[in-house]
This record gives sequence, C-alpha cells and structure tokens, in this order.
Amino acid sequence: MSQWLTQVIDDAKRVDDFLAPMRQQALSKLQTQGWPHARSEEWRFTPLTSIKERSVDASSIAGNYEVPEIEGLNAIDLVFVDGLLVTNLSDISLPSGLSVYALSDAPSAVQSKITSLFGHVKPARHVFGLVNDALCQQGIYVEVDEEASIDTPLRIVNLVTKDCDAHTRVLVNLGKHSQLKVIEHGSGNVASFTTAFAEYVIGEKASLEHYRFALFTGAAKQVGGSHFSLQHSANLNSTLVSYGSELSRLDVDIIHAGEHANAKMNAIYLLAEGEFFDLHSTIEHAMPNGTTEENARGIIGDRARAVFSGRIHIHRDAQKTLAELNNRNLLLSRRAMINTKPELEIYADDVKCAHGATVAEIEEKALYYLLSRGIKRSKALVMLNFGFIQELVNAIDDESIRTWLLPMLSERFASMEVK
Amino acid sequence: MLKINNLHAKVEDKVILKGLNLEIKPGEVHAIMGPNGAGKSTLGYVLSGREGYEVQEGDVSFKGEDLFEMDIEERASKGLFLAFQYPVEIPGVSNMEFMKESVNATREQRGEEPLSATEFLKKAKEACKQVQLPLDFLKRGVNEGFSGGEKKRNEIMQMILLQPSLCILDESDSGLDVDALQVVANGVNSQRDSARSFIIITHYQRLLDYIKPDFVHILADGKIVKTGDASLAHEIEKEGYAFLGKEYEGVSA
Repeated sequence: MSQWLTQVIDDAKRVDDFLAPMRQQALSKLQTQGWPHARSEEWRFTPLTSIKERSVDASSIAGNYEVPEIEGLNAIDLVFVDGLLVTNLSDISLPSGLSVYALSDAPSAVQSKITSLFGHVKPARHVFGLVNDALCQQGIYVEVDEEASIDTPLRIVNLVTKDCDAHTRVLVNLGKHSQLKVIEHGSGNVASFTTAFAEYVIGEKASLEHYRFALFTGAAKQVGGSHFSLQHSANLNSTLVSYGSELSRLDVDIIHAGEHANAKMNAIYLLAEGEFFDLHSTIEHAMPNGTTEENARGIIGDRARAVFSGRIHIHRDAQKTLAELNNRNLLLSRRAMINTKPELEIYADDVKCAHGATVAEIEEKALYYLLSRGIKRSKALVMLNFGFIQELVNAIDDESIRTWLLPMLSERFASMEVK
Repeated sequence: MLKINNLHAKVEDKVILKGLNLEIKPGEVHAIMGPNGAGKSTLGYVLSGREGYEVQEGDVSFKGEDLFEMDIEERASKGLFLAFQYPVEIPGVSNMEFMKESVNATREQRGEEPLSATEFLKKAKEACKQVQLPLDFLKRGVNEGFSGGEKKRNEIMQMILLQPSLCILDESDSGLDVDALQVVANGVNSQRDSARSFIIITHYQRLLDYIKPDFVHILADGKIVKTGDASLAHEIEKEGYAFLGKEYEGVSA
C-alpha cells in the first residue's frame, strides 16, 4: 500500500453524505486492490511513483484564477478551481430543459437520480476512479430533459492553480431525443495531483457533442476519465485534446448499451519535451448494429513519452457492428517514445472491424516535394505532420472551438524541435 | 549556370542515364525531347536530388558548385526549381503556408529578411491571378483535389513566386487544353530574362510553339543523341523518332 493511498482511505472514511454507501464500496475495493502493481497491464507505463509517496494536500481555498476564453463559444461556464466549485449555480440562468445541481447541494429527489448514475458508467477497475468515488466532494449533476435540444454549450472548467490534491466529478444524463454540447476544459501547470472523472448516459436517440481538453503541463499531474453509456440509437461525437505533464492520464470508456448507437472519437495529443501522456480507451459493443470510429493521433517531442491503449471489445451478441480504430504517431526525436496497443477482441461473427497503428511514417513523396521547394527538412517534417493533426481539428463541428484550437496547437507544435 | 558531364544514374537496379552531357548558360532555354523511357523525367529528379535516384558516374556543376554535394532543399533554395509532371497532393498543409515557407527559405538563403504575412499574401495573389487560378486555391491543401491542369498552374505559380535561376519543367504541357497551355507558356515567358535559364522537358512540340527554345536536344536511351535549334522539334513532330534506329520506327513524337 502506498502512503498516499493510506491517507486517502483515512480521509475518505470521514466523508459522510448521501453517496456514503457507494463511497464505502469504492473504499473496500481500494483496500482489496491496493496500489497498482508496477507490471499490471493497465498501469505499467504510467509513472505512479511520484504519487505513491505523496502526502495529501486537500485544498479548502481556491487560488487566484482566470477562466480561459474560447471566443464566440458563449457557453455556460461551470468552474472548478483547485477542486472547488467556484460558480454559484443560483447565479446562472439555464435554458429550459437543462438542469444543473452541485453534488453537495442536490435536493433529495435528485439524489436518487445521482446515485443511480454515480459509478455506473465508469468501470470499477480504475484505482484513481475509485479514489474519486470515495473522495469527490465537489461535483455536478447535469440533466437534459427528454426532447430538449440545448443550443448553448455547457463548459466545465477545471483549473489547478496551486499545490493541492483535488477530486472532482461530473455526471450528465441526457434524456431521450435530447441534444447537448459539453466541453470539459482542464488546465494547470503547478505541482499538484488531481483526478477528474465524468460519466455520461446518452438516452435513446439523444446526441452528445463532447470535448475534453486536458491541457495540464509541468508538474500538474492529473488522472481523469470520460465515460459514456449509449442507449438505443444514441450518438456520441467526442474530441479529446491533451498535452503532457509529469503524469497525465485519460481513460475513455464508451459502452454501446443499446442497439444502433454511433460513437465517434478523435484524440489529439501533442507532447513537448519530456512530457508524459497516457490514453486508455475501451469501447464495449454489447449490442448489435453499433458503429465506432476512433482516431487517435499524436506528436511526441524529445524525451517525451506517450502511451496509447485502445481496445474494442465486440460481445457475442453485437452482430453487424462496424468498428474502426486507428492510432498514428510521430516521434520528433530518437529519445521520444510511444507505446501503442490497438486491440480488437471480437466474439460476434458478422462484424466489420479494422484497426491499426503507425509510428513516424513520413510520406516520402510529400517530403520530397516540400524539400524540393527549399523548405528545411525539420520544418518540412513539422508541416507534413501537423497536417495529420490539423485534419482532426478540421473535423471538429464547433467553429469557435476549431478557431481557438488550431493556432494554439500549431504554436505549441512550432515550438517543438525535431532532433 | 549548369554543366552536366558524363552523367550516369540508376533507379533501383535499372540504369537510366548513360553518359549525358549538357551545358546551359544563363538566359538560355533548352528543350529536351525524346521517346518514352528515354530518361527525361529521371534527369529532372537526379538534378533535384530525389532519393532513390543514384548517380553512378559523372558530375554536375550548378552555378560553379558541385550539385551533388548539396541536399535537396539546398539546391532548391540556391535557385534550382523542378516543376513536377505529377505534383503530389498534401492534405492538411495549406498552399499558402507551403509557398510562404518555401519563399522565405529561399530568401533566407539569399540573406534577405522573411516576408511578412501581408507582404507574402500580396505577392501570392498576384501570382495566383497570373496563372488564372481562383484565389481560394491559396487556402486549399497543397494540390488537394486540384485537376491535372490546376496542378500544373500551381507549379508555375510557385515558380513565379520563388524566382529560381534554373527552371526545369517536366512535361508541364501534358494533359493540358490549349487555354491552360497558354497560361503555362505565358507564365514561363513572363519569367524569361538574360539571367534565368530553362530546361523544358516535353514529349510534344506543341508547347514549343509558345515557348521558343534556343536549343532542342533529343534524349534517347540515357544520352543526348542530337542537338539542334527550334526547327528540330518540328522535324520530330513530322518524322517521329525513326532516325534513332530500327526500334524507334513508327514512334511518333
């Protein structure tokens, strides 16, 4: 057992609210599982040592902050700073059909809805997910009424401004035939350790346009997850963008719980010198006629390391599934590293699936073309390979997000050196 | 400008150039014609430095320097330009960004300040108009979804922007209708001056009606077998390549 985890368990025992039974369950699982073994498949590339012996520093006061602006997005912002919800929910006006509650302040009628979602989409195997179950005191529950089409995007901002341990939780329930756009926007660069998990249930024929920006750098360590359960004919379109820090990890689970559901996920990671990022995605096709299209593309700088583990699991009953998984990586130096593992596990016989991973394949003809116009090799490599990231940015539906993201990513990329 | 001496080159295991000699002085326009497979395109690739094209023998000096000592990008930034027969499509890199980078790389080589975005945009728009491409082609991915003729015009636009000292046009006329051919020819003619040289690689005499060459060379089996003035191209057009020997009988230009 780690010093940090022991203290977490002690702290968690003192948390007492309507979620207590579920927190207890999480605690007992944590006690049984203990600290992940260095060779466990789930964690073997993730540098957990710095957390293991960390002393817990729970935050009670939010630091100074500035909410990053995405021009033209005009979203409803719910802001967490150092783990604390600083937005006063009674101050914001919500469009009709959309409700938002703080976990700490949910009326009893809502509490039962929360308990039926909490921990039900996120798989229980994840040690930091369990820590979040046991300790998250700050969080929000979002509900979209049946048939409600919410035009205003909802942005959940998660800022880390000082050394702290913080655990936040987001629960979103989309009613039948509803529509919503959610942006999980996290950033920070100071020494800290945070977990941020989100669970979504997308109801029958409902659509979720989802973004997660995990822009943690430096010593800001974060482990997080976005987990989705898709009911009959539900649609998910998700875009993940991540930088790397000393420790940055994101788990995504997409569960096709109803037939004819469609999931699309694009992930972009851009790791500057020495950064670490670990993306684990699991797609569960439990029901027939579902589709999944997953593209993860990354550029990894000098001495940086990325991990991609992408698993598509097609259950025996999930006939007529269409699933594609692709991971492309570019290493900018010989000391850059990628561990990529796309996996298809298929138990149904009438499915169409493809998967693949490539590392640093520079197209010779395109490179030659740029060189033949006098462009330096290092610059040409950057131009060519930013192109494959840009393709995913261009695929983003929301124009304001596209316009905000592209210069930000190209600037980061331009500052990365090819060695 | 360019002096090619006894050039032998192969691609994979196939020897293509077998002792080619050619000298080009500043301001001259040389046309290179020849039957398919003679090595015309290979010459362009070898001069530009494409990987996989191995020089076995001979030497080439470009503006008095050993060309084979230079990287691809160095040759280009020192003024060697190859307009491709089949320009590659690069989705994700905008035409504008691509051309700005290449113009500024050349300027850097000459010791000039890079152009600002506004300065470059102005020049790019002029060049775009000159080759009669709509301005939105600047924003599109490099050659992405361009027709054959649009790709050729895009090559000429780059040539106009880069102001190279030696332009090699590899079948820039193939697949073009008369209007497009004139656009390409006008682009080339607008760049002709006493310092700039051209190598026009072509299969047909047609382009040479619009761009009058100072010399016409016939390339066959990896060597230049005949050199003449502009009238040689007309001869080939009429007579075909039969004079090259039995195996070329019936091969028309």
